[in-house]
Amino acid sequence: MSRIRKLSRRQAIRLGATTVGGLALSGFLTDPMLAMAGPADGSRPEIGYFERFGVDPGVIREALQVALASGGGHADLYFQHRITNSYALEDGDVNRAGCGIELGMGVRVLKGDQTGYGFTENLSKEGIVRAARTAAAIARDAARGGPGSLHLSAGGPSRYPMARPWLDVSSADRLKLLNTLNERFFKEDKRIRKVTVQFMDQTCALLLADSAGRLVEDLQPLTSLVVFCVAEQKGRREQVRYRLSGRAGLEFYTPARIDRVVKEAVARTVVLFDAVPAPAGEMPVVLAAGSSGILLHEAIGHGMEADFNRKGISIYADKIGKPVARPFVSIVDDATAPGARGSINVDDEGTVAGRTVLVEDGILTSYLHDLVSARHYKLDPTGNGRRESYRFPPVPRMRSTYMEPGPHKRDEIIASVKRGIYCSTFTNGQVRIGAGDFTFYVQNGCLIENGKLTRPIKDVNIIGNGPEVLQRIDMVADDLLIEEEGWTCGKAGQSVPVSQGLPTVRVGALTVGGRS
Amino acid sequence: MSRELMDQAKKAVLDATRRGAKGVRAVVSRNRASSVEWRDGKIDRLRESTRMALGLTLFVDGRYSVNTTSDLRPAAVDRFLDEVIAMTRVLTKDPHRKLADPESYKGRHEGDLKIFDASRTVSAVERRKIAAALEAAARAGSGSAKIVSVSTQCSDNVSEGAMATSNGMEGTRTDTSFVLLAMTSVQDRGSRKPQGYSYAARRLFLSLPTVESVGMDATRRATQEIGARPEKSGQYRCILENRIAGRLLDWLLGQPLTGRAIQQRRSFLADKLGRPIASQVLTVTDDPLLESGLGSGTYDGEGMSARRRVVVENGVLKTHYLDTYYASKLERPPTTESSSNLVFGPGTQGLDGLLKAMGNGILITGFSGGNSNPATGDFSIGISGHWIENGKAARPVSEMNLSGNHLTFWNRLLELGTDAFLDSSTRSPSLRFDTVQFSGK
Repeated sequence: MSRIRKLSRRQAIRLGATTVGGLALSGFLTDPMLAMAGPADGSRPEIGYFERFGVDPGVIREALQVALASGGGHADLYFQHRITNSYALEDGDVNRAGCGIELGMGVRVLKGDQTGYGFTENLSKEGIVRAARTAAAIARDAARGGPGSLHLSAGGPSRYPMARPWLDVSSADRLKLLNTLNERFFKEDKRIRKVTVQFMDQTCALLLADSAGRLVEDLQPLTSLVVFCVAEQKGRREQVRYRLSGRAGLEFYTPARIDRVVKEAVARTVVLFDAVPAPAGEMPVVLAAGSSGILLHEAIGHGMEADFNRKGISIYADKIGKPVARPFVSIVDDATAPGARGSINVDDEGTVAGRTVLVEDGILTSYLHDLVSARHYKLDPTGNGRRESYRFPPVPRMRSTYMEPGPHKRDEIIASVKRGIYCSTFTNGQVRIGAGDFTFYVQNGCLIENGKLTRPIKDVNIIGNGPEVLQRIDMVADDLLIEEEGWTCGKAGQSVPVSQGLPTVRVGALTVGGRS
Repeated sequence: MSRELMDQAKKAVLDATRRGAKGVRAVVSRNRASSVEWRDGKIDRLRESTRMALGLTLFVDGRYSVNTTSDLRPAAVDRFLDEVIAMTRVLTKDPHRKLADPESYKGRHEGDLKIFDASRTVSAVERRKIAAALEAAARAGSGSAKIVSVSTQCSDNVSEGAMATSNGMEGTRTDTSFVLLAMTSVQDRGSRKPQGYSYAARRLFLSLPTVESVGMDATRRATQEIGARPEKSGQYRCILENRIAGRLLDWLLGQPLTGRAIQQRRSFLADKLGRPIASQVLTVTDDPLLESGLGSGTYDGEGMSARRRVVVENGVLKTHYLDTYYASKLERPPTTESSSNLVFGPGTQGLDGLLKAMGNGILITGFSGGNSNPATGDFSIGISGHWIENGKAARPVSEMNLSGNHLTFWNRLLELGTDAFLDSSTRSPSLRFDTVQFSGK
């Protein structure tokens, strides 16, 4: 994942700004927020970024040795330095800001399927070795030796466009972005009464070292914008939350995207004044291209995470190689789209992340693996081992989950429904892994009456059962759209950024939780 | 131990003030967490850690920021202070931003809240034994032939915190929590493997229920879900089981009552103070001084001394949660930023009695997904539970949905149970409702 050539700072940025231990990005460290950690000079090529915190090959080798002292089969160290800046605009002013710094490291020891985990925020040798000793307690056998030498993995992908990295962006530039948005909203529609904009940018350096002697580094940017838009009309009030997120620098906020934020957020809010109560009961549901990928996330994605399957508790546990959908349904989990919120160069176990096919032409193909499940199934990990931070051990997680385009047309799909609903925007969803029952909540939708989109609907929960709903997907259009709204997925107390996408899809029958 | 944290907090206040901050609130926290996760006869995951963090709220020339760092090396903290103060200076001035009034720091409760268990530490060996015993209990009851897998967890936490402000507030707190969890997966028709869970979360180790009761409850709940199907859509009477009622109550008494939601016009309860929002049977008190409560504390996030407040009295809304900032914007006196422990009551009878009183309807034991529009009060949420006939469970239901608007829904509340749920800061009893809208087949 790293570059092995020495690059100037600007070159490195253009090429995606992943670091290779100390060679590539010395200029990168001039930002005061990062440099406060200590001088970057004198870095040894093996360690790079974390050298400034006193982390060196000697400490790493010793910690790995301690981690394996009770006979663990695998050990890894995960170092993380994450800087998050946030700015909020409310009542017309950018009047709230925040900075969060997370610095720490976690030690994991594996013994078969069993995991020992410890972490520390004290990156001294004592702190790291103590965490290693905690993790080592999972095993109770004779000591195994640590790695003799450490070597840096090189030549991996570079998926984060960063023409304007956050560490180069001034506070004034961020403020300008927010203030522009504020003015635009109130000009867009007279009914808009309140606008809150929450902006966030994040720069995360990580280093993974394991008992095979592998060293892997990455530098992950992330940014998001969340708008709360409140409109009033004739004593009625409606509100909508609109989001935008990607792994990129300031250039992410193109005029086109800004335009979309304002127009879409306002349109989604004011349309709600015309909304009629959603219907109740089972009916055909058409999912719009884009964010409707939430269907895949809940109906199949979580159930395909291999930890649930190796434990035998997922509804998909016995279905690999079996038909689960019609032949025109193919579903992937993909880490490779440049700049997508769910994209990563490497996962949090140091595995290069690629494209994992969950369903190919209707046949269930592969689970989403981390190192533990891959070892269990004797397969290669798929780059899905992710964690919220150094405070957590990695578990199998999605990245960007979407369905490949199909043979139908959007208009043909809508025209095919006599009475049903069309769903376009969503707030959240959930699944019960074992029973397979899932839900997702529709913020904006529309009735379909006699093949036509008619009156808007809102605030309705949709329920289905994963495997049953996959079989009921009977039309798939050719208009795949990967959303840019940005989702955060929670599992076992850990949140990670993900993306999703879908072409326009018809599900023959789903339970709609409306009131009429 | 907290003395050391207080020294750090006071130093941060001093250092920030010296750099030009006009007002500072510093919170230093330390949390030690240990857990054993157990699955099918062996340890699945072992975790142990200590966290530390400095949180710093700054008021610089009328400007405001909230910052945190886990890099507590003295030189790094110095640089952090320089950076965040510089960042704060570029913001727009906001006259409503200020530290809490020093008067509000006075009169702090001095009794023992019993949220720290000094008598008991749990050893690694003991955690392992408890986790194993939870599994044994889960496998001991009837229905064990259907079990696919049992996962359990035993964990404990010790948290310490110190708060200091530049206008004279100083406070420390230390608390413990102990958690038991059991999850049983059972085989149903086809590939369906419903999971039942049971848990306990307490401040004091000795107040935990027995591992037998937690383990057996998980398996009982899982086996009861076997064969679950949706009922037809319709208007049915229902009961919310105590341990899940908090989810719906939070949509009513959480975000919509906060100063931000009210001032930003995102609350359907903005103009409901002193007016009925629920049926007369509902009375709710916010009690931060509740003995051993999971939300208990003697001061709030701004350092204001904690006080009991009636939130809803006989269905009438009595309180908005206003922090210093939104209170100032709304030109009202501050109360506190959010709820602590919610206490309900009094109830009339236990769950069995409620079921008999309902006769036919749905007992809701699980929620899935769903959401609520805080501006309008419209909500829609997935449910699972049991179809009740003549007060007895007739068959399990799933894949159904409950929907409504809070302003009418809570008027359908008929009766509160006596079974307050102690393992959450929302100590709701089971709640019995008149007919409401369900969708299903």
